[in-house]
Amino acid sequence: MDVKRSRFEAQVLPHLDAAYRLARWLCRSPGDADDVVQEAFLRAYRAFDSLRGPDARAWLLAIVRNCHLSALAERRRRGHEPLAEEHEADSQAAVAPLPDPERDSIERDARRMLERLIAGLAPEHREVLLLRELEDMSYREIATVTAVPIGTVMSRLARARAALKVSWLEESRGGPRAVR
Amino acid sequence: MQCAEHLRVQAAFDGELDAVSAAGVERHTEHCPECRAFRDSLERTRAALRRDLDYGQATPELRARIARALDAEEARERRAASQAAHRAVRWTRPFWVGTASGAGVAALAATLAFVLLVPLRSAALPDELVAAHVASLSSAQHLTQVVSTDRHTVKPWFAGRADVSPVVADFATQGYPLIGGRVDTLERQRAAVLVYAHGAHKINVFSFAPGRLGLPAAATRRGYHISCWKSADLGYCMVSDAGWDEMQSLARLLQDLAARDARE
Repeated sequence: MDVKRSRFEAQVLPHLDAAYRLARWLCRSPGDADDVVQEAFLRAYRAFDSLRGPDARAWLLAIVRNCHLSALAERRRRGHEPLAEEHEADSQAAVAPLPDPERDSIERDARRMLERLIAGLAPEHREVLLLRELEDMSYREIATVTAVPIGTVMSRLARARAALKVSWLEESRGGPRAVR
Repeated sequence: MQCAEHLRVQAAFDGELDAVSAAGVERHTEHCPECRAFRDSLERTRAALRRDLDYGQATPELRARIARALDAEEARERRAASQAAHRAVRWTRPFWVGTASGAGVAALAATLAFVLLVPLRSAALPDELVAAHVASLSSAQHLTQVVSTDRHTVKPWFAGRADVSPVVADFATQGYPLIGGRVDTLERQRAAVLVYAHGAHKINVFSFAPGRLGLPAAATRRGYHISCWKSADLGYCMVSDAGWDEMQSLARLLQDLAARDARE
């Protein structure tokens, strides 16, 4: 194994799970997410010399996001994907909950509901919210991943949180069990 | 959420404010029920997301697929490198001749461009800077389009308005309070301008993407000093009627900040 490969495995490979989670939330199906992550790692390896500074995670996630967008554009070009696909508030677009008999049904309901609400957000809101809350990224890192200025990150985050709260309240009012 | 502070409450909640600003937001939140409710809802949302959302992990199969893809790529790069080495040996002569003549033409062109453009440019930029500085002093409205001592207000304000995003900080404790910012046209770009005070003096710090020929040397025009430097890929030009030493102190503060910013 050469020097480049071992440096790459030390700096970039630890962020595989983060890359997978982002891809999973961006893509329609787990299979697509795997393809996007694999392609992203290949591109990252080819562009490894361009990685400057310590923030390999934001750099990698930016590549994952770009791979997802080009895969999406390619599918649309070939007519396999309807344009409105990303905005559907459809639970199929979210990560399908893994079957787990250990969990009680109430917890599973809360989980499913949140997944559905997140999936219903606009893509540019969904990604900033997940990067902030699940990956615990700073505004600067999120700006790197999503290729927008920090001010835009702040306003998108505020809108994402507001939108989530609205749909949450609507859901709680309509459903039998409120999650506050 | 109607309170004007809500972006700052959010920034404090996300740990993006320095200690002083965060304490200010904390004080505000104590007296503003709207912001208190907003912060509580941020906390509840975060707790629910972190508790209930599936984090997910890459499967072992995906790990193995990636390892195989990297193996193949590594082998391909090695093959390409050894083929290139072979070609270089076989074609040494034409390779050199071609490169030498190409380099010669490029060097000549660069020299000509340098000779032709340098006098034009070094004459124009300092005058442009001083003209912009003098115009900015005509009234408070001209001086600052955003009035704030807070970098988290000024920096995001530049987004979409200026072509660059400079480092921003308030240096009040060092004697250089940040007054605000504005956008000026400079070198046919929308330059981001930071406005500092030092005693009765105003200091304008213009930031923009420098042209290929670099920044002007320190100069004095119409009694105003001009001092320029480069941090990361941004050019910074400071203009003021303050003394050279006082301007250099602020320049050093901003350079240190940019260096820290680049390391983060």
